Amino acid sequence: MWSRLLAVMLLISSSAAIADGMVVDKVYHPYVLPNEQEFEWRLMSRQTDSNTLIGQRIAYGQSLSETVMVEGYLIGEKTKTEDFGLQAYEIEVRWMMTEQGEFWADWGMLFEVEKQHKQNDWEVTTGIIFEKEFGRTSLTMNLFGIYEWGETIQDEIEVEFRLKYRYRWMPQIQPAIEIYTGEDYIGLGPAFMGIQRFDGQKQLKWEAGFITEISNSGKDHSLRVALEYEF
Amino acid sequence: MFWLFVSHSSKAQTKEFYLTLENHVFTPSELKVPADKKVKLIIFNKDMVAEEFDSFDLNREKVLFPKRKSTIFIGPLKPGNYEYFGEYHPNSARGVIVVEVKDAN
Repeated sequence: MWSRLLAVMLLISSSAAIADGMVVDKVYHPYVLPNEQEFEWRLMSRQTDSNTLIGQRIAYGQSLSETVMVEGYLIGEKTKTEDFGLQAYEIEVRWMMTEQGEFWADWGMLFEVEKQHKQNDWEVTTGIIFEKEFGRTSLTMNLFGIYEWGETIQDEIEVEFRLKYRYRWMPQIQPAIEIYTGEDYIGLGPAFMGIQRFDGQKQLKWEAGFITEISNSGKDHSLRVALEYEF
Repeated sequence: MFWLFVSHSSKAQTKEFYLTLENHVFTPSELKVPADKKVKLIIFNKDMVAEEFDSFDLNREKVLFPKRKSTIFIGPLKPGNYEYFGEYHPNSARGVIVVEVKDAN
């Protein structure tokens, strides 16, 4: 059943439009904790034969209830020809739909609206977040539908699929395999995440992954790093 | 239809177990639960302040609001000891879930 589900998702995702950005980003977990605030920084670097794209995000997030978290992002990008600068801003809402462990799997939803800083170009993303425990391992999957429109871009619908299979070895080091598909891109590679707790609700989470595009020949590597400080 | 998919296999009766948090101490500090079964942990926080249940072993994190009962679903688990603590009072608010092969009371 799992192999069929995965095959369908890969097929849907890989039939989407030609790449115009970064597919490698972050695999979302469906969980929300009440009374939580966080600062987040993400770095994504994609290197191909012809271009190097570096994206950074800084964000502030806050849970609004026991099941809903909202996060606002400032997004910056640097390409081979353009210096680093503010590219876009985004608001994101994550909804924990089921209590962790209550059902066969845990489910959540994501809603995002992004606007380009200097153009009247928009992107709306919505999709499903899934997580299932298998002993000391966890399988997390995201399936997102994305609609882009605006003055300088063509209207476009894309589908992205992300997968992380993680071994909860110790809090600080949890190795994983990640898969990203979408925008004519299929990437696969090793990753890890970790967490360090401090007093009370304060904790620092880190994630990193090195993803290699596998469907086309030529160089296409992505490095992603994320830091989250929760308090 | 979606809900049927989500709630698959949740129909079986989930056995309930109880913990109390009072004066930042979990009671009983050692709770026995059966192996290979999902169980429902109901925690009554009798304190006037919130606590956060945290366990890497159980892969659970849950805010326990003051004067409220909170529910945490755990398992199915293999036999063994699974530690947990309260993030706000980690020295006193600690306990262990002991997962045993035979049906625990």
